Amino acid sequence: MNKFEVIVIGGGHAGVEAADVASRMGVPTLLITHDLLKIGEMSCNPAIGGIGKSHLAKEVDALGGLMAKSADRAGIHYRVLNSTKGQAVRATRVQTDRDLYKQAIQDLLAQSKNLSIVEGSVTDISIKNSVIQSITTSEGEEYFASSIILTTGTFLGGVMHTGLTQSSGGRVGDPASIELAQKLRGLNLPVGRLKTGTPPRLHKDSIDWSSLIPQPGDKPTPLLSYTSAAKNRPQQMDCFMTRTNKGTHKVIHDYLHESPMYSGVIEGVGPRYCPSIEDKVMRFSERDSHQIFAEPEGLSSDLIYPNGISTSLPLEAQEKLVRSIKGFENAEIVRPGYAIEYDYFNPTCLKHTLELKDIKGLYFAGQINGTTGYEEAAAQGIVAGINAALSIKKQGTFELKRDEAYIGVLIDDLVSLGTKEPYRMFTSRAEYRLILREDNADMRLTQKGKDLGIVQDDLWEKYITKKELSSNELSRLKTNKIKPNSPEALKIELETGEKTTNNISLYEILKRPKVLYGHLPQINETVPSNVIDEIEASVKYEGYIKRQKADIEKLQRNENTRIPEHIDYANVVGLSNEVKQKLNEARPESIARASRLPGVTPAAISLLMIHIKKHKRAVGE
Amino acid sequence: MSGDHSKQIAEAMCGSLAESWKFKKCKIRSSEGQVLDSGMVVFFESPNSYTGEDVVEFHCHGNPAIVNLILEDAVNRGARVAEPGEFTKTAFLNDKIDLAQAESVADLINAQSKSAIIAAGSSLSGEFSSKVDSIVEGLIKTRVVVEAHIDFPEEDIDSLLLEKISKDLLVFSNDIKSLLVDANNSMKLREGYRVAIVGPPNAGKSTLINTIAKESVAITSNIPGTTRDLVRAEVDLGGVIVEFVDTAGMRQNPENVIEEEGMLRSREAIEGSNLCLLIQDITEVQPFDIELENKMTVMNKCDLAVDEPKEQQGVFYVSSLTGQGVGSLVKEVLLRLGVDEGSETPFLARKRHKVSIENSLHFLNVSIKDLEEKTGLELVAESLRLAHEGLGEVLRPMSSDDLLGEIFSEFCIGK
Repeated sequence: MNKFEVIVIGGGHAGVEAADVASRMGVPTLLITHDLLKIGEMSCNPAIGGIGKSHLAKEVDALGGLMAKSADRAGIHYRVLNSTKGQAVRATRVQTDRDLYKQAIQDLLAQSKNLSIVEGSVTDISIKNSVIQSITTSEGEEYFASSIILTTGTFLGGVMHTGLTQSSGGRVGDPASIELAQKLRGLNLPVGRLKTGTPPRLHKDSIDWSSLIPQPGDKPTPLLSYTSAAKNRPQQMDCFMTRTNKGTHKVIHDYLHESPMYSGVIEGVGPRYCPSIEDKVMRFSERDSHQIFAEPEGLSSDLIYPNGISTSLPLEAQEKLVRSIKGFENAEIVRPGYAIEYDYFNPTCLKHTLELKDIKGLYFAGQINGTTGYEEAAAQGIVAGINAALSIKKQGTFELKRDEAYIGVLIDDLVSLGTKEPYRMFTSRAEYRLILREDNADMRLTQKGKDLGIVQDDLWEKYITKKELSSNELSRLKTNKIKPNSPEALKIELETGEKTTNNISLYEILKRPKVLYGHLPQINETVPSNVIDEIEASVKYEGYIKRQKADIEKLQRNENTRIPEHIDYANVVGLSNEVKQKLNEARPESIARASRLPGVTPAAISLLMIHIKKHKRAVGE
Repeated sequence: MSGDHSKQIAEAMCGSLAESWKFKKCKIRSSEGQVLDSGMVVFFESPNSYTGEDVVEFHCHGNPAIVNLILEDAVNRGARVAEPGEFTKTAFLNDKIDLAQAESVADLINAQSKSAIIAAGSSLSGEFSSKVDSIVEGLIKTRVVVEAHIDFPEEDIDSLLLEKISKDLLVFSNDIKSLLVDANNSMKLREGYRVAIVGPPNAGKSTLINTIAKESVAITSNIPGTTRDLVRAEVDLGGVIVEFVDTAGMRQNPENVIEEEGMLRSREAIEGSNLCLLIQDITEVQPFDIELENKMTVMNKCDLAVDEPKEQQGVFYVSSLTGQGVGSLVKEVLLRLGVDEGSETPFLARKRHKVSIENSLHFLNVSIKDLEEKTGLELVAESLRLAHEGLGEVLRPMSSDDLLGEIFSEFCIGK
């Protein structure tokens, strides 16, 4: 019999992390996907990271996940964004070679001991008494497991649009999941349609590179993963920049009636922050130019990804549009851009473990939950995978809080508030942004990963070394003092303009805005840059971080007050009907989560706390 | 005052405390060492107190100004103004109140929070809240620029916008400062509810105020700065301070400049009130066509009416001379003001607002300093978030998703 403990459906960025982590937790796991060669495929732009997203990727990495390591094995262009705006919002972005990335993911998966990978198209799932039982493929093969994770991406009922022509599909060249979509629609879950799009791909030899502005990668070149080595990184390439112009915008106006978005054919909601070029031109008509990045799809690929002109206009319009742009005058479209609509389920139907509230053992992760982006998918994948395995092992749950990780912010936003448009991470979503930095994702999460048994030896060693180095160095900075008018003090004053009038510890002087670690006397040359980042951030932000920690502590009691799963809000005295309805829909798991729901007032929270307390006292707890 | 630090704060204010449950005579001093009042203080050590936490009670003179100073001082030393019903809630959560009382606790919180919402509204005059609103508006615009620069560094966002913000922030900071001065010096942040008594001349308006004051066995006092033509009386209606403003009689064609000015002031009084009582002489009802937003019609001088009046619904029939009907009028007034049993006084709501606005000013000034020192845009953003949060508490809170929405509508973002 085909019996496993965990089954993951889908080999995208959520699916691979889920399958990998579950198998590393020692649980027999099956990954089933329609095409083995497409495991780890980047369906849209060939890049990992960026603001908010690199934080997610590093957090997945700090838990031993696949994404950042694979990105480093495939990274051909690195940039550090926001380098002058502060440590917490600094973000790494990697352009990757699409094929190398896929290869890296597949190689890493091949090392997983308890993982089986099967090619097949899942057409049915079986649920008995609200408990998941099995899945069945189009070939009639049935696989059983007590935890099943669905990571269907854009495949559920996927419909692709180019101009006014439509075709069924989950991605260009791949069939959509129609039967599974119908089956899921029968489960009485809050289903909706979302839309996303991708630009046409251009042939690299048809572009006039001399008229584009080159954008070299940053030097020194960073790495995304805590464990990658620079020597394993492929050769680096440049990206290029160009712009749309009035001619481009005229083409869009001329063809707008053939746009599926503007003619009303597409009903799904698209992301506000990733608009098609049609949207940009129509919504910001005062702008006569928009920027475009020409990104190579890989070292040996002939394809160029023109980032900034996602479109679903008909091919004829796409050609005219592209050729109106400087440097693209003779560009050849290898594959047209398109918009895709797909089914998602409003994630308020999930617990924070990503298990469905009403179906035991069934988990959702990735775009099926209304998110967009590889990193958001990977983050959910690893959480769903861990929880699926923990549930098999009967070892509780794994949930990250909003002050612990962007992963916590992501899942809490999704599960508590739901989403009506594709959800993307931004740093402004995190109220504890100053604590959730790229430089400390390992400090925040690797110990937790170790406790779960999912942290590999090399990551653990790096973490321990970094932790020791940083604590030794911090205590040295606190003890070592400099005297006013000493050569050290004068050197600092010369370089930064910061005067010292008393004996002052290095720690105190590092707090001053203009003083960096490098300005200090007797710096420890062996401290690597990632440790310096962590030290600088923790010293300079001490005051702010203390404040945020105080806020967190205040909320802690509410965080720990669980709301009984079967609470009947109708019985809570004094709640308005509106609040009752909100709580009924969201079914928050703790008082803190309830308090974050819009419209739930502090008074309503007090009433709820009294109700819970009353209930506890009544049952003699 | 309840909570872990209450003993420490109280000792800083009144010197060492007596043992638990014992009164001690003391002088209550401000942070600057100034004596605020001579009174008594009693300490209830946890768990033997109402809330179950350490509790300190101050027994001071009943003058609202003194209570205000003491409260302010405690807040300056780290206390915070309680939420509606919070003491009782804490008592319940700490097992100080038995199960049977739980329902009444819930009712109390409900009533208090309802009245607090009304009280909060009434503590802000239209002018004041529109000033706060315009500062919030400006803060949101600034945050949109800052957050857009942080979250979308590769988009075409005009960097000149960022250079402009330090000037804007200084303006906001000065605006908030002058708001606080306003709040402290004038009646714009009110201590209580205000009811305007309007109507044609000689309808018996002044007599009615006197009767209401007597009926409720109240202390009335004249507020300094009362203009000759507006007579104000603060009346204590069952623990709730309601200010009645007797306006100059209004009629269609004023006879002279003085009367015209008097009517202008009456109109201002009407605009600044929570409720208007339109008083008519039942024996001589006159047309009164000034729009009143929230009004109750009162027929006065019922004792003089020849016939038994044919009662209309929603109209009150009283005689300010005999006191007939005044009791039920007062009950209805309280109901219309949203004052229930166990209501919170607007005093606390006002206090919370002031503290929020002061916090907001503090963080705004931090953001200005961070911007000057170029400590990194993310710190500026953090201080702006906190400054916005402070003012948002007064008016309307805003989620991070709302803010992103503003960014997307302001800037063309996305690749």
